[in-house]
Amino acid sequence: MKAQPGNIKEDVWIPTACGGCYAQCGIKVRRVNGTIVEMDGNPDSPAGSGRICAKGSAQLMTLYDPHRLNYPVKRTNPEKGVGVDPKWERISWEEALDIIVTKLKAVYEKDPRGVYFQATTVQTSEIRFAVVAFMRAFGFKNYWVSGGGLWCGNGAHFMNGIMHAAWSIIPDFNYNNYTLYFGCSKGHGAGHAALQTAQQVADARARGMKAVVFDPYLSTQASKGHEWVPIRVGTDGAAALGMINVLLNELNIYDAHYLKHKTNAVYLIQPDGYNKRDAATNKPLVWDPEDGTAKTFDDPSIKDFALEGSFEVQGTTCTPAFQLFKEHVKKEYPLDKVSKITSVPEKTLRRIAKEFGEHARIGSTITIDGKVLPLRPSAAIFFRGSQGHVNSGWTCLSIDLLNHIVGAADVPGGSMGHGPPVCQGHPDTGKPNTVPFACPDGLMEVKGWVYDHKPYPLRKPSAPQRLDLQDMFPCSIYNAFTICSPDWEKYLEAFKIDYRPSIMINFGSNSVMTMGNAEEVTENFLKKFEFIFSFNIYHNEFTEAVADVVLPDASFLERYTPCVTFPSTFCHPTGIDQWVWEIRQPVVEQIGERQDFNAVMLEIADRLGLKEKYLEAINKIIPIRYGGEMAEKYKLTPDRIQTWEDICDNVLRDRLGDDKGLEELKKTGLVKWPFKVEEMYWRWFVPVRVPIYFEYFLDAGKQLKEVAESFGMPEIADYNFYKPLAQWNPCPSHTMDNPEFDLWAFCWRPSFHTQSSTQNNPWLDEISLSDPWVYLVQINEETGKRKGIADKDMIWIENPVGIKIKGQARLVQGVHDEHVCIAGCHGHWAKGIPIAERKGVFFDDLIICDINYTDSLTQGSDTCVKVKIYKCEEGE
Amino acid sequence: MRYGFVIDLKRCYGCYSCTVACKATNHTPKNIDFAKCIQGETGIYPSALRQMLPTLCMQCSEPECLKVCPTGATLQDEHGVVTVDKDICMGCGYCMMACPYGQRHKVQLWETYFPDGPPELDPYQAYAKEKWEVKNGYGIAAKCDFCQDRVNDGKQPACVEACPAKARYFGDLDDPESEISILIRRERGFQLNPEFGTDPSVYYLPAR
Amino acid sequence: MILKAQTKWGWFIAAYLFLAGVGGGAYVTGAVAGFGGPEWTLISKIGVLLSFPCVGVGCLFLILDLGSPKNFWRSAMKPATSWIARGTIVITIFMILGVLHAGLWIWPSQMLDTAQGLHTLISVLGILFAFGTMIYTGILLGAARPLAFWSTAMLPLLFLVSALSTGIMAVIFIGSLAGAAGHALLVLGKIDLLIILQEIFVLGFYLQATHRVRESRASARLVLAGSSAPLFWLGVVCLGLLVPLAFDLLTIYALSGPAGHTLGLLASCCGLLGGLFLRKVVLSGGIYAPLAAGRFEYALTNI
Repeated sequence: MKAQPGNIKEDVWIPTACGGCYAQCGIKVRRVNGTIVEMDGNPDSPAGSGRICAKGSAQLMTLYDPHRLNYPVKRTNPEKGVGVDPKWERISWEEALDIIVTKLKAVYEKDPRGVYFQATTVQTSEIRFAVVAFMRAFGFKNYWVSGGGLWCGNGAHFMNGIMHAAWSIIPDFNYNNYTLYFGCSKGHGAGHAALQTAQQVADARARGMKAVVFDPYLSTQASKGHEWVPIRVGTDGAAALGMINVLLNELNIYDAHYLKHKTNAVYLIQPDGYNKRDAATNKPLVWDPEDGTAKTFDDPSIKDFALEGSFEVQGTTCTPAFQLFKEHVKKEYPLDKVSKITSVPEKTLRRIAKEFGEHARIGSTITIDGKVLPLRPSAAIFFRGSQGHVNSGWTCLSIDLLNHIVGAADVPGGSMGHGPPVCQGHPDTGKPNTVPFACPDGLMEVKGWVYDHKPYPLRKPSAPQRLDLQDMFPCSIYNAFTICSPDWEKYLEAFKIDYRPSIMINFGSNSVMTMGNAEEVTENFLKKFEFIFSFNIYHNEFTEAVADVVLPDASFLERYTPCVTFPSTFCHPTGIDQWVWEIRQPVVEQIGERQDFNAVMLEIADRLGLKEKYLEAINKIIPIRYGGEMAEKYKLTPDRIQTWEDICDNVLRDRLGDDKGLEELKKTGLVKWPFKVEEMYWRWFVPVRVPIYFEYFLDAGKQLKEVAESFGMPEIADYNFYKPLAQWNPCPSHTMDNPEFDLWAFCWRPSFHTQSSTQNNPWLDEISLSDPWVYLVQINEETGKRKGIADKDMIWIENPVGIKIKGQARLVQGVHDEHVCIAGCHGHWAKGIPIAERKGVFFDDLIICDINYTDSLTQGSDTCVKVKIYKCEEGE
Repeated sequence: MRYGFVIDLKRCYGCYSCTVACKATNHTPKNIDFAKCIQGETGIYPSALRQMLPTLCMQCSEPECLKVCPTGATLQDEHGVVTVDKDICMGCGYCMMACPYGQRHKVQLWETYFPDGPPELDPYQAYAKEKWEVKNGYGIAAKCDFCQDRVNDGKQPACVEACPAKARYFGDLDDPESEISILIRRERGFQLNPEFGTDPSVYYLPAR
Repeated sequence: MILKAQTKWGWFIAAYLFLAGVGGGAYVTGAVAGFGGPEWTLISKIGVLLSFPCVGVGCLFLILDLGSPKNFWRSAMKPATSWIARGTIVITIFMILGVLHAGLWIWPSQMLDTAQGLHTLISVLGILFAFGTMIYTGILLGAARPLAFWSTAMLPLLFLVSALSTGIMAVIFIGSLAGAAGHALLVLGKIDLLIILQEIFVLGFYLQATHRVRESRASARLVLAGSSAPLFWLGVVCLGLLVPLAFDLLTIYALSGPAGHTLGLLASCCGLLGGLFLRKVVLSGGIYAPLAAGRFEYALTNI
């Protein structure tokens, strides 16, 4: 029935969670006579507090976009590749499932290991347990999530996990007065609780909080900040280490109490770099200066800890880690050297270090809910921009160390793990319980991590079994340099991987556009699969290039997702009064033949005879991801579970309470319970330490080298990265000598787009076309003039290996004069998204995916590259 | 009770949420925005600054559009809200020339948002098109009316409710103790281009 | 920051402004000629007969340009504040006077031949409202205050001079074809020459005055060196001013007879086209003032 103003039979508001990006804001959607006509924020949800962003409001246009996939298709053109016409033929769901199950069955019987799944961060909540369970049940280990490696992830999540038990890090907007922003937009962008942080940062700014933003680009956060510090791309870690040097060695500002009790700064280190351990218990030793003796770190008789000095312990001269660190930064990161690396003047770095240190107000306290807590209103935060370089892991740590030096970690005013990691669970069930705990060495171990890799303890390097060799590396999530390079086969042979890629299951990931150079990704990686099937909402560059079967996925407005804001570490807002567990529920009947991929995967598992294994795998994953064992009565068994809704219902009742199943939660879309101060400002309530000295990297590096050497490929990593003290390593762009390539190219993300998936939305297209910057290449005006480039000229941007992209120049003041600034991920060419076609610039093509452009520690990709720019000729 | 707006540029971070929320609420056709946002940059590197300027109809106390309207289609109610009677307007476009803030719009037909799609409109566009025709129509002037339908229902204008940074405020300019009156006084709210003598009802709080 | 020009008023409005000007100028030519001797009678009748049809066709263009033409009859409802309303009234009265004048003097009646007093009265009133019509086209644009290129006292003056010039040229054109007295045409040509010179000066002053504010400077750039430059230099300056000027000079001081006759026709054609182009250029050049907020300036993008 048409929704005509004069003929309203139904006018209802349905609460759900937005899926326009991965902020997971609570929304209310209005349905009139079966048509969605309005999207508003849900004031009831503390994830968004009633607000809705441009992407959210625009989502109903994506729902009804006629270019959406509404029926399954199969590829009839056997040729695959970028720009190839797949010659889609419409098929029925029965035929599609038949093809898929036949292929999967054959592979399952022969060798299930060659299967790979790809997903998108936008659907993290959808895949987090169910798809991973399928992976376990089927028996393969390979996966990639768009965003991971290239866009975010490897360094950031790893280090935030080690130091804060969380996915990322934001300042405590409630009490913070001074925050250093490195390569992140917290409060001014999209993703991870974006709308809630937008309110929080605006309130904080009104209160007087100052943000000092290090950024090669006058981004939104830099514009709103108190000070913009233009910095050379990829050098954030050096700046941080230089400032730590100032704090420790010039100003003598550090929180001794915090370092002594909450870090391994006091652990005694032997001359060989390892912890000095107690002979009996093997626990790391510290020096008690009051008693003049070494004790295990957790000895209750300790009166004080030595941070500096030289101590004889069992015949070895040992030094506390803090002293080693202090000397290390003094020697390696003097400000003149740091200034040359970063292009930030020495005076500026020194001044900001001083301001940061003074704002931390070391020693001050505050009473909240009757609890006396340290007050440290200084913070240093980072995310995608900082970690997207060769020095990915260490850069993240270096910046975070600023926080730990002044004791501003997960205390009022300081840096906070984001989303909030420490949850004691819903009062009715005690789940999800994600309180970290200490390993035998006293260091923090997390509960409830988002994906397979726990940040600590590290994986022990051993013979790899994954196609990207990821499981050989101690710290890696996934990487691109193995699979996207022409050397992939060489790696597989060298490391004796005795199977090859067979089937890829792609859940909406546009990996052709989001891993690196499109041609390389397609030719070297994607075309190696015998069969690829994809759940997608559009025909995009991925499906057109390489998919064999494409299934029309339901959008977030057409599906159930039981766990949206948990695990909290991914996207739950931080620093607010209440926990919120949101669900996603359909607001309309699935349009056309669209289906929720989780329902389809359940069906596929059933047809493969894997249903029991699949449900069993879910039963095992839920306790890990969502903190707490499953109650027997809610464990999933084949007789009780027929549909995806059944799974959702059981998981919800198990986590939140008998009275909180799917039907009950559909009414409000969420469950809330109060935050405790021990959860919010958890650092001094949880008896864990974090490392400032990464002793375990020594063994990790040694073991990795041994494994690599045993396969004859020791060059797979630079083992200098596996040292215990923070370091800054240059990207190839920093050491390139060729004067022809004189500018750095990097990319930024606009807040009104979600990577590559929103450019076909006509409302977002309208604002993009009127925005002066998002679809153009921004160059500093002086630099542009020097090169004879005028505003609006079409230019080529070419990288050192001859790959070039085209874009329209915009001469601005808001870009560091050595840089070329491009918004990613645009410049589409797929025929299935005509509104997106040819709008904006495709930055990723410039990315070089090889071992030199990879972090040896976390295997993250380097996303900066040296380029030369020049005008296009007529007719080009 | 004169309706007014305050837009706090210190809070606004340029996300375009207001633009799209307005479009969704008022069902404006393609390329018509009642709440357009304009990006701006000033200064010289490295002392450059950027700031987004959200705009909407200023509902001026001395509206230029009302002055120049020949047919009397442009009206102003007791709250200062300027509206267009679509049955009277002849679509001459004079108001579009006279408004210093670019807040009068005219569209000849409903152009589909999906030009490469099928000719018949999707369910949402069909709904939106009818809503637009009921309230506005084609060939005549259309504009922001501070969401009077929502306000009469006790809600806030759509752009105010959407703004993620809570940078927009709506209230009574005649009440000296209203939130917006206090903000204007205390935070030195200013109007855009007051030299045109329009006395807008929209005030901005300085960006820094 | 790239300031943008308005895009809503284009050729149709230019045609309306142009034809209203031609009608007014032709009428003034005709009405004044009506006080001359018998050799001016044909000229006078041509002027009167051109007036209301030109204005009428101009109004047709205006109505066609309207978004909702069915309401066009409402266009005179608010003369208290609206220049379009005032203009509608003035133009309507002018057209009525023109119709009266033609109807009582040319066809169907010729009574004004003998009713000198009435003839004078109608002529004087007609001239008054003709001036009103011609000036109104400039004042109308002037009420658009954010468009500094338009809101200047120079514009009504420019349009007035141009209207007189194009009016005379229209009369010369028709008069030449209709076989009007060569002497009379020559005098008209001389008067037109003076008016063209005046127009060149006024145009120069008008453009010079644009240095005042940023948006009018941008307008001047657009017109002199930007997207409207070809139309301005070729259409307005060459075709509309220099060619008629040159041809007029030749006709008056060098050539006469059939060659001069042809030149006169050509000059009028060019001049008339130039008048249309002038209106279009002025419309195209209308650039909005930027919005000023603190340190920032913003170009309107909503237009």
